[in-house]
Amino acid sequence: MKKHLKVILLTISISFLQISSTYSNDEVLESGISYDEIYDPIEPINRAVLNFNFFIDDIAIRPIVKTYKFIAPEPVEKGVSNFFSNLKEPIRTVSFIFQGEFYKSFNSIGRFTINTLTSLGTFDLASRVGMEKNETDFGITLAKGGVSSGPYLVIPIIGPSNLRDFSGDIIEYFADPISNSVPDREYIAIGNGLNERVEIDEQLDKVRDASSDRYEMIKSIYYQNRNAQLEEEFIQNLPVPKIYIE
Amino acid sequence: MKNLLILFSIIFSFSTLEASEVSEWFEKESNQFLEIMNNNEGTESENYEKYKYFVNKNFAVKSIAFGLIGENIVEKSSKNQLSNYLKVFTDYLIKTIYKLSNSNSSSSIVLKDVDIKNDIYIIKSEISYKKSSANIYWKVIDTGSSYKIIDVIVENTSYFVTKKSEFNKILRKNRGSLEALIIEIGKI
Repeated sequence: MKKHLKVILLTISISFLQISSTYSNDEVLESGISYDEIYDPIEPINRAVLNFNFFIDDIAIRPIVKTYKFIAPEPVEKGVSNFFSNLKEPIRTVSFIFQGEFYKSFNSIGRFTINTLTSLGTFDLASRVGMEKNETDFGITLAKGGVSSGPYLVIPIIGPSNLRDFSGDIIEYFADPISNSVPDREYIAIGNGLNERVEIDEQLDKVRDASSDRYEMIKSIYYQNRNAQLEEEFIQNLPVPKIYIE
Repeated sequence: MKNLLILFSIIFSFSTLEASEVSEWFEKESNQFLEIMNNNEGTESENYEKYKYFVNKNFAVKSIAFGLIGENIVEKSSKNQLSNYLKVFTDYLIKTIYKLSNSNSSSSIVLKDVDIKNDIYIIKSEISYKKSSANIYWKVIDTGSSYKIIDVIVENTSYFVTKKSEFNKILRKNRGSLEALIIEIGKI
């Protein structure tokens, strides 16, 4: 049954990707994207979902996060963050193989081995010995494979994404060697989600009232951060204003 | 060959000199910014005035403001409208920086690197607060008489790009009306 479900989900994600290729504008690997013209055909639905997410966050998730941040000493918070990040190293290893980044792939599996054996992943010893963490995921793998982003999506509870990245998340969820080897994988997913929410807590507080349109702000921030992972000269290539005499 | 080497060394020494000048400017202004940020003992209006002075001195406000609405709107708007928009935007920029820095107390801003592309200096720095730190890039132009900031990029999020998306949305929703944008940003 589980196998059938995987096949169905993979088929859905592949067909999503095909749709996304047809829907995409004239983007090539996102580079040169005009940030104020991001493809967003279901904006009214996305806006409603974002409001729903903020509502759920206000009544349930934020109080948990704030209490946790208040109670947990910083080393504990850091340890938990390291633990969840370490669990992602095996799937990062797989992603890097698909991207043809074999050095980074070895680095990821090496980091996983060192950190798991020394502290169950709660302390990042590998970074101290020069094996720096490299972030990646299946969304990036798909982007590097030439798949365009498709429409912008706001996923209930999860937050901002796009068709390509969300498909990447689905593939990752089922392909992750760690999640596949534990009986209650949902708890890991929830724990990881909460940890990610803790990590962006301060930024999210600022977004709440620092913007005239938080939907546009979050969308722009999401795309900028994704592009930063894809483009080597991201900072240099960001658009700048025309210069007027002051 | 010898002449070529001399030419290269002259060009190189000029760019090194320029980079060291902009680094010097950055060190001085970032220290001043830290001082403002960490000395919040005055009244709210006194603190606000300090930020106002800092922003007017160091930011290319007009370029940022007009860049955010785009050339088309700049061209079709009256002088009066533009000057009103510039006034409201300056206040908006000061308030945004004031709000962001008021919620943090930072201990240091360390200059990491200076790069130059298309006459724009890209200054990489690291700001630390409590036990965490963040990378901040500053895009700076040389106006001849001083250096001016045209964009600030905090951990891959550009102020200019993010605000441009927001402003464009408001303008599109209101059929390009600058007045509507002025009202909207005036609410913040």
